[in-house]
Amino acid sequence: MSTPPPSLWRRIKAALRPPRTLKVTRMGRTYLVVTFGVGIGALNTGNNLLYLVLGLLLSVIILSGVLSERCIKDLTVRRVGTDGAFAGEPFAFRWGISRRQGHAFALTLSEVDSPLTGEGGVGYLPAGAEHVVRADLTAPRRGPVKLTGVRITTTWPLGLFAKTRVVALEGTLLVYPRRGFACADPGEAAVGHVGEANNPHRMDGTGDIAGLRELSEHEDARRVHWLKSASVGKLLKVEREREERRTYILGVQSGLTGDALEQRCEEVAEQAHRLLEAGHEVGLELPQQRLRPGAGSGQERAILRALAWLGFEEQREEAA
Amino acid sequence: MTRPNRLRLILRDLGTAAAFASMAVSGQVPAWALGLVLVAVLVSLMGRRPFARAPRLTAILLVPLAGALYLAVAAGQMDLVVAACSFAGLVASQRLLSETNPATDGQVLLAGLLMIAGGAALSGELLFAVCLLAFAVLASLSLGLAVVEAAVPPGEPVPVRHVLRPLFMGVLIAMAGAVAFFVLFPRLNWNMGVRRATPGLGPATSGFSDTVRLGGSGTLKSNPRVVLRAKLTPDPGAQRLDSYWLGRTYDTFNGQEWSTIGAPSKRRRTRVTLRPGAEKQVYQRIELLPAYGARTLIALETPAKLGNALMHTPTGDRRMQLQELGGDELRFVEEGLGYSYEVYSVPPGVDTDPGKLDQKEMDQLLALPEKIDPRIEELAHQVVGNETDPLAAAQKLSSWLQREYTYTLELGGDVADPLMEFLFVRKAGHCEHFATALTLMLRTQGFEARLATGFFGGERVGDEYLVRAGDAHAWTHVLVPGRGFVTVDATPAAYRANQSLELLESLVSLYEAIEGMWRTSVVDYSFRDQMNFLRDMSRPPRNEPGKERTQLPPLRAWLTAALAGAAVYWTWRYLSRRKARAPVLEATRFVDSVERQLSSAGVRARDGETLEDVSARLTREAHPLAPAVSPLTRRYLEARFGQRPLRPGESARLLKELKHSVEVHKQQQQTPRARAS
Repeated sequence: MSTPPPSLWRRIKAALRPPRTLKVTRMGRTYLVVTFGVGIGALNTGNNLLYLVLGLLLSVIILSGVLSERCIKDLTVRRVGTDGAFAGEPFAFRWGISRRQGHAFALTLSEVDSPLTGEGGVGYLPAGAEHVVRADLTAPRRGPVKLTGVRITTTWPLGLFAKTRVVALEGTLLVYPRRGFACADPGEAAVGHVGEANNPHRMDGTGDIAGLRELSEHEDARRVHWLKSASVGKLLKVEREREERRTYILGVQSGLTGDALEQRCEEVAEQAHRLLEAGHEVGLELPQQRLRPGAGSGQERAILRALAWLGFEEQREEAA
Repeated sequence: MTRPNRLRLILRDLGTAAAFASMAVSGQVPAWALGLVLVAVLVSLMGRRPFARAPRLTAILLVPLAGALYLAVAAGQMDLVVAACSFAGLVASQRLLSETNPATDGQVLLAGLLMIAGGAALSGELLFAVCLLAFAVLASLSLGLAVVEAAVPPGEPVPVRHVLRPLFMGVLIAMAGAVAFFVLFPRLNWNMGVRRATPGLGPATSGFSDTVRLGGSGTLKSNPRVVLRAKLTPDPGAQRLDSYWLGRTYDTFNGQEWSTIGAPSKRRRTRVTLRPGAEKQVYQRIELLPAYGARTLIALETPAKLGNALMHTPTGDRRMQLQELGGDELRFVEEGLGYSYEVYSVPPGVDTDPGKLDQKEMDQLLALPEKIDPRIEELAHQVVGNETDPLAAAQKLSSWLQREYTYTLELGGDVADPLMEFLFVRKAGHCEHFATALTLMLRTQGFEARLATGFFGGERVGDEYLVRAGDAHAWTHVLVPGRGFVTVDATPAAYRANQSLELLESLVSLYEAIEGMWRTSVVDYSFRDQMNFLRDMSRPPRNEPGKERTQLPPLRAWLTAALAGAAVYWTWRYLSRRKARAPVLEATRFVDSVERQLSSAGVRARDGETLEDVSARLTREAHPLAPAVSPLTRRYLEARFGQRPLRPGESARLLKELKHSVEVHKQQQQTPRARAS
């Protein structure tokens, strides 16, 4: 599976895109209608005060163009990126924007020609300092998203016109599978204790006491050392020489395409999340890749990354 | 949704109030609309939005109001423009009291824009300019803050201080642009839609009535409002004219008030001749301003011919007829906001005809009140003695009154016999007391006299003379055989003109001066003014007589030179910036051309290989093109990084040499193959 190449129309549109685009806002349209009406009135009656008002209205239009241009020129943008983008839900995305000289106002940033929706804004950008703009973007589907540029829009100074400039900036955003509810059972553990308890946090482990540490979330309260906890005023857990964990190998079968592949990726991602959160080790078996079992958030991130690239191997090679 | 910025809402509300005020200063907006909008603005300024829960219902309520306004217009009870402006005010009020969101804010300010346009159509007041300025500043600041507020992420503060300064600058530039457009955009038609001014500083305070009642206080003397403007030909040139501007005269005194027995003429004429003219008459073009508040024509003493009168109404100027009344009074037939007319007057000192007086009126010039105090006659006789010349007797009495009596504006109110009170009790009074005393004392001695009222003064502003409401005055006309009526003023000279505070007078003068400039430069600006402006810009100024010509160039030459200098500076700056970038682009283009020529000879750069690498590789491999490429590479590096840009034509020469080497190389490659075949 691969991302379809951009259509001819989209490429032509990108090639013909002017350096600035101007869009009249809703209030701007009404403003133009009023200006037209005042102009007709002035020409019709010869009332000098209407000429004065007309002059003011036209000056404001020209001033809007000049000030908005001053606002969006000489801008430098870089992508700070995101901590993790999951399909179908908003994720925090950041850009770093700066200006060498002059101030800028009311800037709105978004990604151009990409399926990402959402935008971030900055009210005032002083000269010489980088401002990090945060936006809640949403990606509709899993996989790498090719980013070509950042769209910067301003309605400064009066909100009558929205002037837009696109800053060319190549990049790739990897979107992880959608987070959801995994109905299917992860199957039997490849390695580890087999018994009633399916959570290693609820087992005592074996061997001598190796130490005490603070009880974290989801851990079994039965492992609390009550005496020590009472003396220090917080819950402490007993750690033994051998903590028992299970090892699961999750896999995505080869030959899956389309919705079936998406569904399986989402399911595996959710199973891995649950198992890793429960303290187990999880490995991943993909048609062209294998991840060794591991635990913790780093392993989860590696699994998500592998699942996100699944079906987009060609682009991965290009990106590499 | 984030909480809207309070300052922005206040600015929005005040901007709307300014827009409505631009219509209200015309005085034509109905009081109920004025009251409703005022209440709405106040409630909104307090942060209350009572219509937020039912915006649609309250919007529907506007429909019957619109219907009522339409019916009022259809019935002829209301002007269409006034009705439209009132409705715009109501719409803005409804929006002000509704929930605040970007759409509502935009609608409020656009309704304000409509109200400003309505204000422009309703009046030409100077206050309109103030309201327009206020609306432009307040609405721009509000809109600018709204734009920034929309871009600021929720929870973060709006950078108000940083936003206000550039917005102020922007508004100032927009104002300058508006003025430039106003001055230069060609006027294609006559200024027909303008409506004349109304009394801008409150209701009119001066005026003429059919009687003059002695007593009361002299508050009018402290009123500095300008009631009359006059342009005189020949121009006296004096800063203070100190002349008598006659309104009307009175011949009958009943002990308390003056009146006239002359019957009004039923004829209405556009031109009236009161008396035969003289040789050196003074021509006056007079404008009675809305603050005047009466229909009586005013003219420099002694008026001979009056006519060519226009009445200013809210809908334009109209030619107006004059009606002649008793006491030499002329009145406009209809009431208007202001009037303008032309007068020819006989200058002071020239003998005049007493005018059209019948025998009854002549007899009345000697009439005394029935219950006149006999002491007055005795007093007059003591002063006049056996003097038989009316003018000499009048001057004796006048000097005596000025010497023995004091001027005051503080009086005790109405009394039974004000003249007796003035002469024997208080021994102080204002101009009416002095004039009445002189007139009646002359009559007791058998000299014909009458009371005249009008204004005294004339203050020069520009090439015109202004007369203020406080200049209202009363004096005495003495009938001198062979010379006609001669003016004698018993009021002390220092108290004849207005008695207003100097500071107040200065402020009103300033306002009047600005208002005059506004009227001539904006309201009455025409195609002719545009042509004059352009001609003044393109032609040298005319030599005005009496004005010394300086050797220095005129101001406009300095301004033009400054503008040209600024244009040259900015052009140079722009070009120098472009020039700094040019060598880099030139070097890049140069290396692209080199690479193209090399690739045509089969030498292609590998991935990541620069021209320097290619040149080194060719030298290593002893390639035949290496001697040609090596100096090109060195030159490129110098141009690109060594601050030695390529000279004009240098790149073309180098590329030509490379092309030659490439062609030789190609020929050398092709020759052995031909032999082999």
